[in-house]
Amino acid sequence: MLEESSSPVETSDVADDSVKITRHTENRPANFAKLINNWVPHDLVLKDAWFPLAHSFAVSKKPVRRAVYSNSYFLWRENGVAVGSEFHPKETGKASVSEFTDAKGRYPVMEHYGYVWGWFGNPANADARHLPSLPFLPPEGNLPKYMLGTVRFDCAAPLSLENLIDLTHADFIHADVVGDEKMDSETVEVFNDSETVTMVRSCTNKSVAPVMKMFGGIKDDVQQVRQVIRIYLRSHCAIAYGRFSPGDDVPLFHPCVPETRDRTRLDYAMNTSNAHNLFRYVMPKASYKVSRQDSSMTSPQSPRYMQPEKRKDLHSPLDEAGQVYRALMQDLANRQAQGDYEYRDNVSEDCSDIIGLRKELFQY
Amino acid sequence: MAFETDVSELAKVVKAAEQHWWAAARSEEVTNDKPFNVNIGDMPVVLWRDNDGMARAMEDRCPHRRAPLSLGCIRSEGWIQCGYHGWSFDGEDGRLKEIPNMKDKQKYPPVYRGNAFKVEESGGFIRICNSKNAVIPAPMGETMPMAGSVDVALDHVHFVNALFDDPSLIFHIKGVYFTPYLMSELIEENGRLTMERSCQWKTPHWPAPFSPEFPITLRITTDPVTGECDILLRDDDFNELLYATLAPVPAARGVTQVRWRAKIGANRPGIMAKLMGIGKSFAVLPHIDGAALRVLKPTASIHAEELRANIVAREQAEAISDGSEKVAA
Repeated sequence: MLEESSSPVETSDVADDSVKITRHTENRPANFAKLINNWVPHDLVLKDAWFPLAHSFAVSKKPVRRAVYSNSYFLWRENGVAVGSEFHPKETGKASVSEFTDAKGRYPVMEHYGYVWGWFGNPANADARHLPSLPFLPPEGNLPKYMLGTVRFDCAAPLSLENLIDLTHADFIHADVVGDEKMDSETVEVFNDSETVTMVRSCTNKSVAPVMKMFGGIKDDVQQVRQVIRIYLRSHCAIAYGRFSPGDDVPLFHPCVPETRDRTRLDYAMNTSNAHNLFRYVMPKASYKVSRQDSSMTSPQSPRYMQPEKRKDLHSPLDEAGQVYRALMQDLANRQAQGDYEYRDNVSEDCSDIIGLRKELFQY
Repeated sequence: MAFETDVSELAKVVKAAEQHWWAAARSEEVTNDKPFNVNIGDMPVVLWRDNDGMARAMEDRCPHRRAPLSLGCIRSEGWIQCGYHGWSFDGEDGRLKEIPNMKDKQKYPPVYRGNAFKVEESGGFIRICNSKNAVIPAPMGETMPMAGSVDVALDHVHFVNALFDDPSLIFHIKGVYFTPYLMSELIEENGRLTMERSCQWKTPHWPAPFSPEFPITLRITTDPVTGECDILLRDDDFNELLYATLAPVPAARGVTQVRWRAKIGANRPGIMAKLMGIGKSFAVLPHIDGAALRVLKPTASIHAEELRANIVAREQAEAISDGSEKVAA
């Protein structure tokens, strides 16, 4: 039975006794319905945020190039310390620096969790307190390289994140990797503050993910699944944390760096340190397959979200988390348009309890 | 739901043809042996060289009986002579110089003239403009050695948009694969539309969607109205590997005439960059792959029209402002 429907959105009738959705509406923007139906993610450019631009191992003496909203970030190390500049050291002829860098064209840069993070926004506002909490990653990094990788999407970053927090898509386009939609029941809980949105989905007796059957040694036909998606809005980063029983804990850091408004770079880190058998090595590489499956949909989607659209999207109650994400992103963008760049909630506060992290497995 | 076409946008481009400098020909295409015919939109244009080697351009229409001047010849004086009744015109100002059988008459009233274009030649391109008040553009630098001209059966707007969305439909660079991933979307930079695309060498490589780094990028800077663009291929160490200039000109019946020139960079480290310099390094494709174009996802080009409109509006406002200041002075 679908619980309450206070959210003023259009819904299609997908009522099902096996689904229970719990909404926490207290922190939502006032004009929620309007925001979710004016969704032009292509136009959202949020500032004053840390972006995970590169895995630490990728940054050496030789500059590597990254971009945030078409602004060049050249990263390299000086005496072992990561630095970022809008100019390549060999580049000449640039008359002036942008508003995002200092007088020398240098960006604020910091290194944590095995990533080099670049600040996009007013350099004076750069502060380590605005770094997202990722408690399942070692603060100093050093995860084995097989747990790390890069995938790309030719779509707007918010679409990629909306896709991630869309709980029903995975059972269809990723069924051959993470299992299909068959289960006895599920509960979904969505809550947020001004800087994050979190969805917790608990599935009872869900079909075992094929990848776990093949490489994780799972013999059962069903498993209990707890999936958490937590998005840090400004940094376009997400935690995707799955707890499987029988099975393993699989926390994934899923950043979506908007290299342009229509291209997304994802330098992921999947900490499978506690996983068993070949699954530990295979699962991080599943990103290559899963990302292509996602891209097959988000790539053609993206141009259709570049301009305001008169026709409203239809929604089901299962789109709850995505709707909250849409509304919060625009609420932030609207605040920034009015000159308010303040962080009203602390994104660096340890979120272990929020995501239900089994701390005994990830002690750093 | 109504179907929309880009007819109005194309019309705007053609209208703009009267105000802007268009690279109507490559230098070597225009001689003093034979008139050379092109189109700017629906306007036929004839080009030739006078006795001093100066390139001249006029509307390809004799003001007498509307015959194409390009069917005539170039006289020893450097004038162009209509092949129908033999009227001869000076390309500098379009003035009628001579009518056969009326050779005693030395001067004709000022209205006896054809429509002459302003002409500028540099960098191996001949640019023309149909505005009397047009400011001569800054000359281009060197003349790049590789060159070609093609007539592509695709209108100017879609041609330029295809260039933004997938350059592999438009041109070929030896050994280079254009990925869908961008370092910069289409933005305005100094009054031009600029974007930069990540590229790979056509060697065994990690698939583009999973590649953490790309060894080369393609930077395209485009005039917002004419679509004339400068192309720069450079490696991840900022060595400039190849330069090219493409000059697409809207022609009749939705065809785009493209003149191009290119050269390879002097410093090209790496085997693939060196191999690029052997044989045909660069070429604009004479045919567009319609099947690929039809399903090409519009991405970088989506904001092109808005960017163009903003730039043009600002330039017009500045021109009006400058004019007002001069009047006031």
